[in-house]
Amino acid sequence: MATSGLIAIAAALAIAVSTIAPAVGQGLAASKAMEAIARQPEAAGEIRSTLILSLGLMEALTIYGLLIAFMLVAKI
Amino acid sequence: MEETAHALFHIGPLEVTGTVTTTWAIILALTVLSWLATRNLKDVPGPLQNVAELAVSKLQSYFTGTLGEKLAKQYFPIFATFFIFIIVCNYSGLLPGAGHYAGFHVPTASFSVTAGLAVIAFFTIHVIGIREKGFGKYWKHVLTSMTLPLFFLAIIEQVVRPFSLALRLYGNLYGEEAVAENLYSIFPIVVPLIIQVLSLLFCLIQALVFTMLLSIYVSEAVE
Repeated sequence: MATSGLIAIAAALAIAVSTIAPAVGQGLAASKAMEAIARQPEAAGEIRSTLILSLGLMEALTIYGLLIAFMLVAKI
Repeated sequence: MEETAHALFHIGPLEVTGTVTTTWAIILALTVLSWLATRNLKDVPGPLQNVAELAVSKLQSYFTGTLGEKLAKQYFPIFATFFIFIIVCNYSGLLPGAGHYAGFHVPTASFSVTAGLAVIAFFTIHVIGIREKGFGKYWKHVLTSMTLPLFFLAIIEQVVRPFSLALRLYGNLYGEEAVAENLYSIFPIVVPLIIQVLSLLFCLIQALVFTMLLSIYVSEAVE
């Protein structure tokens, strides 16, 4: 296969696979957070901040994959 | 990853790029705003002083929740500076012309700036720990808080923390810019709005996450 084609496939694979697991993790975190808010609405502020912090940490993993995809696309 | 890192002009041996000039502009804007907001402090505040008091009190209450009252009061300037600087840098990407003119390049969309912020954050964590606990006791505390089986993983995690802070911020901002450019080249009128609306939310979240993580690391170092 031509090198340029391999690099293109690698870039697509990088971003595609790196969104799967963080998305699942963020969905789990959000669902537990919503259950917790429903159970105890007066703690909603604290739960919301902790939820946003956890989502930010998981989002970073997708961003690492996106960065690699951009670097690869620049080399096609 | 930096296509726009060419120098605009030189001051002695140092190059001044578009990122540096934008950072200067943001520093100037924040200084003028702060001076205007605190000029004639009144008991019944005018609008600008009201906004400033709101920002300071909200930030202070958040840091008090994470760090405890004494530490939050003592180290409030550096945490609040991180937050305000990062959030203003992030939102400057939504201004018209960001990234297209030679002198206007969103600062946090450059890895140099976010790496610099991460280095400052790294030293902040250790300096605050040393100041609070004393030099020898702080390092003893750091070493004993890593349990033996996971020792090497914990050391790697300590080293990786500033990298992850820098890369998270840089990746989000650079990704927003790159996606906006690609959408612009597809259809220039309404399509880039998609990423810019998302960017309204994500710029705030990234500034929050950076500052929250910094305060959590400091609370771990001091506990």
